[in-house]
Amino acid sequence: MPVTLSPRFSLTVGILATLSLAAIIHILVIFSIPHNVQHSAFDNVAKHGPDRQFNLLPDVKPGLEALPDLDPAMKHAACRFELADGPVLFDASIPAPFWSIGLFNSAGETVYSLNNRTAGAERLSMLVLTTEQLSILRENPPENLEDLIVIETGQISGFALLRAYVPHLSKAEEIDGALMAASCGTI
Amino acid sequence: MTDELMRPGNAGDSETDWYEDKQPSVLRPYRSHPLRTLTAVCLVIVLASLLGISSAYLIIEREQPLDAETIGQWRAYPKAGTDEADPYSVAIYTRGAVVPLASGEGLALVAREDNAGHLLDPTCIYRLAGQTPAARLWTLTAVDGHGRLVETLPGRAHLVSHNLLRKIDGTFEVTAARNPHSGNWLPLASDAHAGDGLRFVLRLYDAPVTTGAALDGVSVPLIERLGCP
Repeated sequence: MPVTLSPRFSLTVGILATLSLAAIIHILVIFSIPHNVQHSAFDNVAKHGPDRQFNLLPDVKPGLEALPDLDPAMKHAACRFELADGPVLFDASIPAPFWSIGLFNSAGETVYSLNNRTAGAERLSMLVLTTEQLSILRENPPENLEDLIVIETGQISGFALLRAYVPHLSKAEEIDGALMAASCGTI
Repeated sequence: MTDELMRPGNAGDSETDWYEDKQPSVLRPYRSHPLRTLTAVCLVIVLASLLGISSAYLIIEREQPLDAETIGQWRAYPKAGTDEADPYSVAIYTRGAVVPLASGEGLALVAREDNAGHLLDPTCIYRLAGQTPAARLWTLTAVDGHGRLVETLPGRAHLVSHNLLRKIDGTFEVTAARNPHSGNWLPLASDAHAGDGLRFVLRLYDAPVTTGAALDGVSVPLIERLGCP
């Protein structure tokens, strides 16, 4: 004879099973979203120009936002890089009262960030490389290694977003120029 | 043993016969049909999928990461967009392809409600008064319920701390409305409907509060609704 249950008991079991299964599906859905995103920030940055150079993003205007959640008071430039192609040297001199740079990995997570006060100098010079590249570099260090902010990371691909505050429209062109002149190249 | 003898009409050919007839209905074995079991299992799976997927969708669509620091009506998500983020913020941020404001850059505070707990409405007039946490620069932006910028009458939808009129004690008062107002005016959407939603985003740049722990006890602007059409 099969094991049998009363209708009320089977209803309780059914509800419990539904809830547990729903919880499992809920968790699976939440965890699967990051792997099934069609346009990540990393992909969107690529639309604005080639990798390994700072590409000026269009001004933040309604309906024309290059990336979501950007500040309309700022001008932005983005650069995508692959550390497999060699270390990345960021170099910029931006005549703005405030600027900041954020380094993000391909999943859009912050790796490193600084602003013009924490940079300690008016000029941004920052070197991003992997641990292996750093040990190779240490054998034959370039002269200016002491002046660089060196960031060792395990993230192979990522992008940098440079934000510069435009205090007045008359400064906009100068800041545009500085952002476009910012370099994101090799040593 | 005496039980069997007392039972009338007991043919005695099999145990199941009397068992099925004489047991009270509560104790009588309940034989499930295979088709019935299959239907039940299918129902459980369908219901669970619906429940699981819709609850996940609702949480993600609300675009409110769980790990929030609340100060007054303002919320900050200092951990969102870092490797310490909870799975919900990871899902929300990657789905929206949002590039977060990193901790070395600043901190974004978002308000979705006024001080009475009502959801912000772009057709209303609001007063934001008080002080902000210490920051070298801050900007205040009005966006819609999905975080997008909207068209306004003067073409801007933000205010910057550098160009702000302040009182002698350093506090300020901002009027957020569709039509021009004297003093600090934060323009709201020119053709808004109540259902579009409204959020105020206060971005503090180079602020000591970015660590999240320092958020206790800082003063933030109070959001008051002055009137609605």
